[in-house]
Amino acid sequence: MAQQPAIDPMHQFLIHKVVSGPVFHVGGLTVDMSITNSVASMIAGAMILIVFFALTARREIVPNRGQALAESLYNIIDRVLVGPIIGHEGKPYVPYILSLFLVILVLNLMSVVLAIGNIGGLDLTFAVTSQLAVTATLAVLTFFSVFLLGFIKHGPKFLTLFAPSGMPWPMLFFMVPIEMISYFVRPVTLAMRLFGNMLGGHVVMSLFGSFVVALGIVALSGGVATLAFIPSVLSFTMIVALTGLELVVAVLQAFVFAALATVYLNEVVNLGHGH
Amino acid sequence: MATETQDGTASAEAHAAGLPQFDLQWWPGQIAWFLIMFLVVLAFVRLFAAPRVGGTIEVREEKISGDIADARRLRDEAEAQAAAAAAETAQARAAAQRVAADARARAQAEVTAKLGEEEAKLAAKGAQAEARIATARDAAMANVAAIAADAAGAIVGKLTGRAASPAELAAARGS
Repeated sequence: MAQQPAIDPMHQFLIHKVVSGPVFHVGGLTVDMSITNSVASMIAGAMILIVFFALTARREIVPNRGQALAESLYNIIDRVLVGPIIGHEGKPYVPYILSLFLVILVLNLMSVVLAIGNIGGLDLTFAVTSQLAVTATLAVLTFFSVFLLGFIKHGPKFLTLFAPSGMPWPMLFFMVPIEMISYFVRPVTLAMRLFGNMLGGHVVMSLFGSFVVALGIVALSGGVATLAFIPSVLSFTMIVALTGLELVVAVLQAFVFAALATVYLNEVVNLGHGH
Repeated sequence: MATETQDGTASAEAHAAGLPQFDLQWWPGQIAWFLIMFLVVLAFVRLFAAPRVGGTIEVREEKISGDIADARRLRDEAEAQAAAAAAETAQARAAAQRVAADARARAQAEVTAKLGEEEAKLAAKGAQAEARIATARDAAMANVAAIAADAAGAIVGKLTGRAASPAELAAARGS
């Protein structure tokens, strides 16, 4: 029992440089543009998306499997979310929602699927969407794009969003602050939901993975300790089950993010219609 | 862990104490790179993927609905033609029946007319025959009277030895 590997489920979220890059100083902020393991995963994700659509976005009337998958992904946003929620006026926003969905989906899936490399000790993957910096960027970008779009489309009238119609005016003193708080807390919930889901799933998977190895090493010392193989194998079974669950979560969270972005966008596009 | 007091362990412990995600030194770089990556994907989706995939889906739906509309139109045309053919058949059948009925009526009328004609002819012949019979009988009756007068004269002559005058004969026949 000399060198037991320390169980540190947070280790997987540590960022380290892969290739050093330029460092900019913007105001008091230091922006290190080095390629880290996180950045490498982002670039890989973007490349997967671009290569996938370059290969599958064919113009055939009868699609093959790849084309059918690409069209299904498109339809999830166009026919399942934007169409029913926003309606015909939502068409111009499909590319943005689709990008949100695809980026989150590919990064989520990569962090689960490519984790198979971790068995061989290869650090192939990094859960980019479990980085709060990334989910917050997505959430804030989406929130302020929608917010700005509201002012561009409706001007000051956009502020009626905070005053539910058909309400006696004294109630507005209570309702407007509540509506404003619930509105401006949105980017926080958007960011925290994705971050928390991915973080939690990966921590649990990592914990069970550590159990497999740690208990296995204990079992190898022989004697009564051999019994430790049982929980080791059970932990491995748990990882298999959790991987399945995490795949579902990966797709679901991408969908939820896109769905919420669509709902927020709808309030702006159809201001005053949907209330 | 507690026995080790090296610097490396201390920093590892510092990491273990908080989530690595809250280590702010990596935030600006990650945010900048992520924005770049996201904008590249957004541009790609906006300019290539979405129009191409969405366009293909629309083209397919238009083709399918167009094909269905064509099929529906052809079926309607065929049904209209079938209906026209049925109407024509019915018309032809009605015409044929009318012609047949006309012919039958005409034949009937002809037969009736001929029958009437023949009957009239027969009746006329009958009447002529009766008239002839009547004249013949009258003539015969007249002859019978003359013969009777002659016979009476002869009888009277033989019995009386003198011939009876015609006036006496006529008076005798009359009584």
